[in-house]
Order: sequence, then structure tokens, then C-alpha cells
Amino acid sequence: MKPVKTRLLKVLFLVGIALVSSLFISGCGQKEAKKQFVIGMSQCNLGEPWRVQMNADIKAAAAKHPEIKIIWKDAQNKTTVQQDQVKELVDLGVDLIIISPKEARPLTKPVADAIDAGIPVIVLDRKVEGDKYTCFIGGDNFKIGEEAGKFMVKLLGGKGNVVELKGLMTSTPAVERHEGFLKGIKGSQIKIIFSADCHWLEPDAQREMASALARFPEPDDIDAVYAHNDPSAHGAYIAAKNEGKGREKRIRFIGIDALPHEGIRYVKEGLLTATFQYPTGGAEAIETALKILHGQKVPKNIILGTRVFTRENVDKGGQPL
Amino acid sequence: MDMIRSIIDAAGRFRGVLAFAIVFILGVIFSPVSYRTGHSTFLNWSTQNDILFEYAEYGILAAGMTLVIISGGIDLSVGSVLGFSATLFALLLVGYGWSASAAAVFTTLTAAVMGAVNGFIIARFKMQPFVATLGMMLIARGAAKWISGGIKVQPGAREWYAIKSGNPHIFDWMTSQTALLNLRPITLVFIASIVILWIVLRFTRFGRYIYAIGGNEEAARLSGIRVGSVKLVAYTLCGITAGLAGICNACRVTLGDPGEAGMTYELDAIAAVVIGGTSLSGGKGGMFFTFLGTLIIAYISKILSLQGIEEAPRLMIRGALIIIAVLIQQSRKE
Repeated sequence: MKPVKTRLLKVLFLVGIALVSSLFISGCGQKEAKKQFVIGMSQCNLGEPWRVQMNADIKAAAAKHPEIKIIWKDAQNKTTVQQDQVKELVDLGVDLIIISPKEARPLTKPVADAIDAGIPVIVLDRKVEGDKYTCFIGGDNFKIGEEAGKFMVKLLGGKGNVVELKGLMTSTPAVERHEGFLKGIKGSQIKIIFSADCHWLEPDAQREMASALARFPEPDDIDAVYAHNDPSAHGAYIAAKNEGKGREKRIRFIGIDALPHEGIRYVKEGLLTATFQYPTGGAEAIETALKILHGQKVPKNIILGTRVFTRENVDKGGQPL
Repeated sequence: MDMIRSIIDAAGRFRGVLAFAIVFILGVIFSPVSYRTGHSTFLNWSTQNDILFEYAEYGILAAGMTLVIISGGIDLSVGSVLGFSATLFALLLVGYGWSASAAAVFTTLTAAVMGAVNGFIIARFKMQPFVATLGMMLIARGAAKWISGGIKVQPGAREWYAIKSGNPHIFDWMTSQTALLNLRPITLVFIASIVILWIVLRFTRFGRYIYAIGGNEEAARLSGIRVGSVKLVAYTLCGITAGLAGICNACRVTLGDPGEAGMTYELDAIAAVVIGGTSLSGGKGGMFFTFLGTLIIAYISKILSLQGIEEAPRLMIRGALIIIAVLIQQSRKE
């Protein structure tokens, strides 16, 4: 019995090795065609649709420039992994690094080390500490919140009751989207009658909205919902629909992020009244990278504007604000 | 045929070394070349040094885990104890302004107590190690969130913190290169843990008792070994290694993360022990195997990472390799 079994194991082992090797070889094949510029892209995680979109935007922008080759790294939402991957890109001797950091503090040093090694670094969306980076590109959550607030004032004619479904309030974007909104509705008679921390999650938003509907049961108690992201706005819509009183037709739902398969689709389907784009900066990153690689000067901080998507303008690509 | 069989047998005995050699050669063959220098990015001391640094936390955990596994047990709480220790260390240092050595000693002692509680419950109440340490896993994670108030412990995160900005010196020092082959202090903690526990396991009576208990607990008891005390010490040492790994984690990440530090690390530590060749059924294995097991996992992860292989195939490859390693291990037992 024994020889048969050991042989079987040997075969299994060899199959395993062959499997691993073939993966490597397929990986190596792509590397042969060496291009002019190699850019390393360190993404903190690809679990969020918005970050998948960021990578897609970078890919689309880079596709227009055949001289660019991109090496993708996904840190799977682990800070230490992202630290290691930035180091790997430096060791690999790439020409430029684009990083969307998971967290500011732990990634400050790896980014500074890359700068010291002579590699320019573009920081996307979340900042690192200090000023040892080449260029920061990001959106302005406060401005987006403010625009959403102004939109709400216009939408409701300056008067009404709003439910606010917040993002994770220990994170800066949620705080800024909240404070911006307050500034936007200042001076109007719009009241926030119910608000809850939904942690950016649709199931949580659905639950909190159900509570809001239960607490304010009359047909015209709630005029609108302001959600810090589109999945939360969608969750609120579902909760209103599940209530069975048809209130989902009267309440206006407003979300943020405007991803093609989420917010924009919901607006097209008429579920959301509006969604505000939080730009990924992917296209701008490639544009800036090319300038840096060609030795041109770029600004230290690039703050991106937002767009509003409504039923009327969604097919025309929204309206810049 | 006999000769072939004896070769396979011998290979089986040194399969840890063999597997390590295979992985290393794979690394050399499939290493990408630097775009700047044209040299291999795998076969230079800087990368090797990075690997020893980046996987040190797993190695430290695995060293303590080896004792527990040889004694026939398992410790699922090490990842959470790591997270708790990282948070506590950062809090003492950044929040309360303790000196680095005082914070390190206190943190290690607290982790030792957590390990001792594991050992006590398992020895005194004959509870399954899986269940007892599963409980401690949740308790330690909860404790980490409790002492920190649920937020990451870093300079300036709360108003009353003693350090408002900048890194405590120990954070920079632990991740800086020393004169000794450029090895970083965190790597040295890893190597020291392996060496010290190797000596304990190999040359002390306590070490022999651990093997005896893992091999046959009843026989060990009948021959006069105080099984309960030996287990208590084994789990305490495992707790201490988790504490040390936690300190290393806080220094590396430059903050104490109560939510994510050490998350699922216990599984990687167990995998390192098993891939090295230590049997999960207890009584067999050794510290040197665990060192190799850690390096094998580290090399595989590094090669996959350098190659830019995506997450999905990466998980499948790692899973397949663990299964293959254990299959080979079983073939030897018959």
C-alpha cells in the first residue's frame, strides 16, 4: 500500500508545484514588453466599489498612453501589507508611485522613504502626515455636504423635515459630509428630525430608516432623506417601500458618491432624486503622473470638484458644481 | 525500490528543509528584476532582511504556539492578545507617557496573565483548549476596544494623551536597522523567541514533559508529571510571545489599533507551525521546524506579492500548500 500512496502524494505535490509555477510564468509573460514608464499603484483595499472604480479610472486613463505600464498592488485593507507593498515598489525601482493610503500615520514613513529613494509619490484620497509627498489629489467632502445642503433647500422650498443617515462618524469623511450639510441648510427652515450612524452600510441604513418611519408615522412627517453614501440612501428607500404606506414616492432621497453601478443607476431608475459625485481622482492621477514624469511642475495639493446627478442631467454626465 | 523508498523516507524527515529549499529556489527563479538596477529583487540581502522583518510578528506568535501544539493543545487567542497588547503598549506610551521599558514590561506581564488564564482554565477544568482560547480571543479583543475607547491609540487622538504629536522614540528604533547585518530589532525579537524557546524545548525537563504530555497525556500523568502545571506554563509562554508580537506590531504600525491589529494572525501562526511539520495531534515537532515554516509562508507570500498575483489565486495557492504540507506529514506517520 505504502508505495502507491507515496507516489500519489508525490504526484499531488508536483501538480501543486506546477500550478504555482504556471501562475508565475503567466505573470512573467506580461513583464517582457518593457515600457518607458513604470507606475506602481498601491490601493488599500478592493472591497469597496468606490476603490474598484478608482482603479478602473486609472486603468482607463493609462490606456490612452501606451508608454505607461502599471503595477497593481492591493493591500487587502491591511496597514502592514500596504507598508510592505510600498517598499516592494521602491525595491522594484518604479518611476512613480500612486498610493491611496489606508491610514495616514503608518504610511507616512514608507511614502517618505520612497521620496528619499528619488521616486515621486502621488497620494490619492486620504492624506499622509507632513509634506513629504509629491502631490495630493482628493475630493472635498465638506464642499460636497454643503452642495447637498443647498440642493436640499432648493428642493424642499426652504422648509421641511429631513432624516440624516450618516456614515461612520469616527471617520473624517462622514464628519465633513455632516458639517458641510449643516452649513448648506443654514438659514433655511429645514430641520433634521432624526439622524443615525449607519457605518456606510446599507443594512444598517435600512434598519435606522425603519426606526425613523416608525417614530414619524404620518404621511407628511418626513420630506427627505440625506444619506452620506448611495447604498444608505438606497437602504432608506427600501425601508420606506417595505413600510407599505407608499411613502417612498413622496420622500426625496439624496445620496453621495455617484458610482455608475450604484448611485447613478438609482437616479436613472428614479429611486434617488440626486446623487453627488465623490471623485476618485484616478484620471487626474495619471494626468499628473505624466506631468511629473516629463519634468513639469505640479501643484502640491489638487482638490477636485463635485458633480450633481439628477434625473434630468444623468444621461448628459451630470452637472459640475 | 528500497533505495528509492529510503530516499523518500529521508526526504520526509527533512521535508521542512526540503520544502524551504524548493520555495527559496522558486523565489530565485520567479523573482522580478528591478527596473532601475536590473538585478533580482529577491536575491539580495535587503529583500531577505525585509522578509524577516515583515513576517516577524507571525514568527514570534508561532514560536509560542509551537509549545502549545506539541503539548496537544491549541491557542486561538494569540491574535487578539496581540491586538490587546499593541493597544495597551501604545496607550501606556502615548496616552500615559510611560517610558518604553516600563510599558513593554507591563504589557508583556499582562499578556502573560492572559495566557496563564487560558492555561489555568484548560488544566483546572479540563476544558477543550479550542473552546477556552476561543473565549479568551473574544475577551482580549473586547478588552482592547475597552481600554482604548474603541479608537486607534495614536498621538493627539485624545486631548489628555501625554504625547500630542510625533512618534515615541521606541517606534522608530524598533523598525530601524541595527549594526548587526542591518537586522531590525523586531527581527531580533523574532530570532530570540525562536532560539530561547528552542533551548527550553530541547534542553530542559519542562521541554521533555511537553513532548510527553502531547504524546500521551495519561501516561505522562501516571509517570508522575504534573500535567496541569506544565500546561499552565506552556500557555503562559504562548501569552508572552503574543505580548511581544503586540509590542512589535504597535511599533511597526506606529499606533495601537484595537480593531484590526492581530486579526486572524492566530491562523497564520498555526499554519506556520503545521507547515514546518509539527503535528497538530501533539507530541511531535520542534522549534526549528516552526522557524522554517514561518520562512516558507513568508517566502511564498513575498513571491506572490512581488509578482503582483491577485488576492483570489493567492488565497487558493496558500490553502493548497498547507494541505499538501500536511498530506506529506501524514504519509510519514504510517
